[in-house]
Amino acid sequence: MNRRKFLAQSASLAAITALPRSFGNPAITMASPRGKAEHCIVIWLGGGLSQIDTLDPKKRGSSKTRTAGTDYDLIDTAVPGVSFTAPMARSARLAERMTVVRTVYHNIGEHGQATNFIHTGRPINGSTVYPSFGSIIVHERGAISEKAPPYLLVGYPNVSRGPGFLGPRYGYIYLTDTETGPVGFSPTDKISAERAARRQAILQPLQNRDEAAFASYAEAQRAALQLAGPGFMRNFQVDEEPAALRQAYGGEFGQRCLLARRLVQSGVRFIEVSHNLNFINGAGWDTHADGHLNQYALVQELDSAFSTLITDLESKRLLDKTLIVIGTEFGRPAEFDGGGGRGHQTRSFSLTLAGGGLKHRGAFGVTDHLADKIVEHPVSVPDFHATIHAAMGIDPAKNLAAGSRPVPITDGGKPIAALFG
Amino acid sequence: MRIHPAWLGGLIAVAGFADQSAAPPSSTSVLVEICEKGVPKDGAWPTAAVATESYTEDAFGFFELPQKYISTGVRGDRAFPTLVRASAPVQLPAGKHRILLRSRGPAKLLIEGKQVLETPFDQPRIYRTGSGGLNAGGGGVPFNEQDNYLNLGPDFRFAPPGNREVWGSVEFSGQPVAIVLETILGGLVPKSTAPFRPEFGETVVAVSLEGTDTWMLLSPGSRTVRYTDEGWATYEAERRERLAAMNAAARAQQRAAHAAYWTRRREAAAAWLASTPEEPVPALPSGYPAYNAIDHFLADRIARVAADYAPTGAQGGVDFHRDIKPIFEAQCYNCHQGEKVKGGLRLDRRQDALAGGEGDGPAIVPQHPEKSALIQRVTSTDPDEAMPAKGDPLPATDIALLRRWVAEGAVWPDFARQSFALTAPASDLVFLRRVTLDTVGVVPTEKEIAGFLADQAAGRRTRVIDRLLADPRWADQWMGYWMDVLAENPNLINPTLNNTGPFRWWLHESFLDNKPLDLFATELIRLEGSERFGGPAGFGVASQNDVPAAAKGVILSSAFLGVEMKCARCHDAPAHASQQKDLFKFAAMLDRKPVKVPKTSSVPMDHLNAGGRVPLIEVTLAPGSAVAPAWPFARYCDEATAAALVERADDSRDRLATLITAPQNERFAQVMVNRIWERFMGRALVESPGDWEKSTVSHPALLRWFGRELVRSGYDMKAMTRLLLTSHAYQRAVDPALTAASPLFTAPAPRRIAAEQLVDSLFAATGKPFNLEPVNIDLDSSRPIASNLDLGIARRSWMLASTSNERDRPSLTLPRNQAVSEVLEVFGRRSERPDPIGGNRKVEDNLLQPALLANGTMMSWLVRLSDDHALTRIVMESQPVEKLLDRLYLRLLTRPPTTTERERALALLQPGYATRVVTATPAPAPPAAPRVRTPYVAWSNHMSAEANVVRAEQAAAARRGDPPTAKLDPAWRERFEDVLWALLNAAEWTYIL
Repeated sequence: MNRRKFLAQSASLAAITALPRSFGNPAITMASPRGKAEHCIVIWLGGGLSQIDTLDPKKRGSSKTRTAGTDYDLIDTAVPGVSFTAPMARSARLAERMTVVRTVYHNIGEHGQATNFIHTGRPINGSTVYPSFGSIIVHERGAISEKAPPYLLVGYPNVSRGPGFLGPRYGYIYLTDTETGPVGFSPTDKISAERAARRQAILQPLQNRDEAAFASYAEAQRAALQLAGPGFMRNFQVDEEPAALRQAYGGEFGQRCLLARRLVQSGVRFIEVSHNLNFINGAGWDTHADGHLNQYALVQELDSAFSTLITDLESKRLLDKTLIVIGTEFGRPAEFDGGGGRGHQTRSFSLTLAGGGLKHRGAFGVTDHLADKIVEHPVSVPDFHATIHAAMGIDPAKNLAAGSRPVPITDGGKPIAALFG
Repeated sequence: MRIHPAWLGGLIAVAGFADQSAAPPSSTSVLVEICEKGVPKDGAWPTAAVATESYTEDAFGFFELPQKYISTGVRGDRAFPTLVRASAPVQLPAGKHRILLRSRGPAKLLIEGKQVLETPFDQPRIYRTGSGGLNAGGGGVPFNEQDNYLNLGPDFRFAPPGNREVWGSVEFSGQPVAIVLETILGGLVPKSTAPFRPEFGETVVAVSLEGTDTWMLLSPGSRTVRYTDEGWATYEAERRERLAAMNAAARAQQRAAHAAYWTRRREAAAAWLASTPEEPVPALPSGYPAYNAIDHFLADRIARVAADYAPTGAQGGVDFHRDIKPIFEAQCYNCHQGEKVKGGLRLDRRQDALAGGEGDGPAIVPQHPEKSALIQRVTSTDPDEAMPAKGDPLPATDIALLRRWVAEGAVWPDFARQSFALTAPASDLVFLRRVTLDTVGVVPTEKEIAGFLADQAAGRRTRVIDRLLADPRWADQWMGYWMDVLAENPNLINPTLNNTGPFRWWLHESFLDNKPLDLFATELIRLEGSERFGGPAGFGVASQNDVPAAAKGVILSSAFLGVEMKCARCHDAPAHASQQKDLFKFAAMLDRKPVKVPKTSSVPMDHLNAGGRVPLIEVTLAPGSAVAPAWPFARYCDEATAAALVERADDSRDRLATLITAPQNERFAQVMVNRIWERFMGRALVESPGDWEKSTVSHPALLRWFGRELVRSGYDMKAMTRLLLTSHAYQRAVDPALTAASPLFTAPAPRRIAAEQLVDSLFAATGKPFNLEPVNIDLDSSRPIASNLDLGIARRSWMLASTSNERDRPSLTLPRNQAVSEVLEVFGRRSERPDPIGGNRKVEDNLLQPALLANGTMMSWLVRLSDDHALTRIVMESQPVEKLLDRLYLRLLTRPPTTTERERALALLQPGYATRVVTATPAPAPPAAPRVRTPYVAWSNHMSAEANVVRAEQAAAARRGDPPTAKLDPAWRERFEDVLWALLNAAEWTYIL
């Protein structure tokens, strides 16, 4: 049988088994589960969340005596058999709406590189810059509304959060301060309506030009003007929200999460909110040495914001449509360092999923008595990515194109099946 | 225990210094000796330091040493540590004067051989919270440590971050005395071999004469330098220029020392040119204008293509590019294009289509559809024969078109039908703006415009070109491009994702010196000099990369040979000729030893074979195998060529450089002129300059001729640029209907301005100072060289660096840098460059571009008329308002306003113009608050709560910008600012016409 006849005969077969188009995917994958989430909020804890002090607690230890173990009291959660620690008390009461994936692992102990790996799911190389999960989701699912940009970052820009080979169109618009709004859309000088009109009047003849090449820039200019207008910018007036709700969310980080909810309502597809305020303990989540001293307050701040975000979204019937992810570059060991803080741990740590219409179970995966070694259900970073994408209705095995090179959305990742169906 | 130097003030009695028995020194300048030998590494003063270099200075004020250059003139490192000794005879009036010593490293001051002042050996200043290793973290220096500082007078200059200081009173007799200052640069972290950055900080000896409260730098001659903020700024700026000249001279000297070898290379190139056929310059077809040979080549091509179209045009026949090529692209090119094709048939070139594939006969026989295999295949109903092999047969209309096209003779012009008419030369002002942006990266000044318009003699455009080519800003204009092509990617804090050293300084000096391009490539490939302070060695670094040599091989082959080997990093690819083995041979030459393929640079075979189909890619190099150094590009140049030309025959890295840059390797010269062409013409002759397999050469004869001209000129980039800029083709007006340059170069299209050109021009045109924080987080130099870089004060956009901050700590941001970087980024500059870009950036319009120009922080600085804004000064000059408006348009847009623009602007500017300057004497200033030193945030203290507060205040101040001037009536000023805002938001800023 020649090639052509073989192909003709096997065409129907191919249609069923959906042979993958490139080398990256083992052929036997069953159809990936597809969730129905429309939005995604990633809460980023830069520095490395201490899972043993929060979401994967073990026997009590003590930073004072440098005894390995959890430094705070354990508490029960709404899911029988799943414990958190005392500063996570509010989230604990909502545990059936979330799954702490306790068995994520990699082997990168440096902040920048690990942050990149968690965002892109791929190790760095010098020739291809891979897109972040945010950019991939925006690329695959597109903008929800013409009136809102699809990807907003509340935090500092960096390459790990960027669009990589997908190109700037799939990048973020960012802000570092909820009050000032996103860079470029909130005038630094408050200009009166009269002055704004004056400016447009002078600008108008300058825009009437013959060059065809200018047309798309002028188009972008009009669109930018619209985004900078009252419609979209109103989302940043979080003081419109009820005082009690604002209070429940907590400080600046909480307000960022509240803003994220408003952005979801306005049609933003993907929002990354960075918890980047190192006022509380100096170190943020990178709790070496005495950075650990005030970690309790830092965790409480996370707890208020995260739990309020869940209940707030739920009350607005948005929780099932909105996947919340708590991301961090790695975890921290049970043992204390010489200064009473903790180093970095990559061989097992916790990333958390909430809402998004998943079948939550409080926790997934089991680590040993010091939250050190994985005992059950290891979840690779590509698997975790695949779970996020599947929840967003995206096929994690689909190929993207880096120039002519096909690049699967995840590096062979498989969604956590237990969370679907 | 650390003693704070500020506590050391007080009287120091110096006995015997006025002994006049020694002969008084006679020099009137400070002798500076650099001692790289005999300096102990254990934090002690040397007893037998040996001077290895020396130079002179006017005064005891130092902020930077002249660079040390090695090899052909690349920056090298001095020894760690290095001792600097500055000495001079100084004569002060008799009296008891105050003397101040400041330094970054340990320093001591000797007068007549007696030590009078000393700063301690206390750098390292690495602290961390709690305990931990020296390099483990840091950031916990108490913020209030800054509260201890000297304040010794009403205009006393406070010590900048990271300087130790001490003062004392010294009795002088009125006779000259010998002054010696010694300081140690680049000391080592205790019990380690890790050095600190070899920096002066601000190393000075200053004096305040008895009975005065002002300070000046100690100086042996008649020169007085006031040691105040302003006095120091002026002195530093002046000495920086002198340092730049000294550095240039030192580079020239190093290059001259290697002249013998490079002269031989020039002779070899001349011999090669003589031994190979010249590319004849075609005669100029009639009716075409020409300024030089380039115009001959272009006109010849246009005339021929126009002739190709003449028959079809007359008959209204089938047009290949309009009618046929889209069919081929949609139906055939998946398998029948490029080097690797099915059935041996290529349908992307006429001669291959005529020749046909394996056993099928000619695919096309002109005039004979019935004899053409192509027609047979697309009409066949036999599944074994029909084309396309997959999917539906072609629609009948397509088949009919193909038939007619073949019947009409299968006319296949090289270019799509287009206007063959040339545009006229651009007008004078459009030309001036274009050529100025293209050569020096900013728009022309009022003075440059006036000078050009005043020159009415023949050859004025060429004179402008020559002036611009001699301008040192030429080097600035090339920086962004090469930083992209070579993936220059330094990080201010701990090297991480594919970071390199800051070899930007080598790039910049290369363009300042107009370094021959073969020497440029050779220096880069040799990877010599300083890794952390700007030598080509910094290019060799790829932090966290599994095979740095392979990463660099990908960059070098693309940059200099147009060979893309990205895919070959892990496998052999269907779209490229290079195999993984080729890349690793290249990498091994660069690494001077066999290079192993790690598992992470491969694709697992089981993945490849999964699914039971033939994979597109192949892995022919098993992970773990080692590849020995070998030249993989015999197709460009025989490996034996190196033997006769190479300088260091036993060094595979040098052989690699030689094989790439040898004149016999015509590819190198052609790749380089293609890059120059793309930069100035907006479209390259090979459209993907970093990957020649992806596109064809539009003008083969011109490219070959231009490549040979480069060799003939001694690889002179400016000479080639001059050829191009003086051509009619470059100087033609844009065709407003075009969105991309015509492939025949009949007319340019508006070209998107590069991010750096835009930002630098906005600052230059408005005259707002480019006043940003130092590009440095480690202001007080508390960390070893491997951890932090100091990239200095940026004067142009390319000097900025990523302020990326993976830990998301607000205290590690640089708000003013960020305000400029965010504009640069939306216009296409990448703050991080982990991978190379093949050529010109491809930037799309996006919302953030106009958004940031309308509302961004940087733009608010430019629009507001603050006291330091050049336009504040200009609007206050006495001149008619019409003239002011014309000047504003010339400065910003290099053109006068149109009638409508003028009317609308004047309607705002005329009212109140006569009274715009506030004449009332300002209210008396409130009594000045006590002067205090501005606190700083650096890596050393960034973990403290105060550091976060101070940084947040700095960010708010950056957003606020400078206050408006009080010298102008606020209502008129606001109207002027509105006009300025509109002019800065004009779309013509974002294009080069």
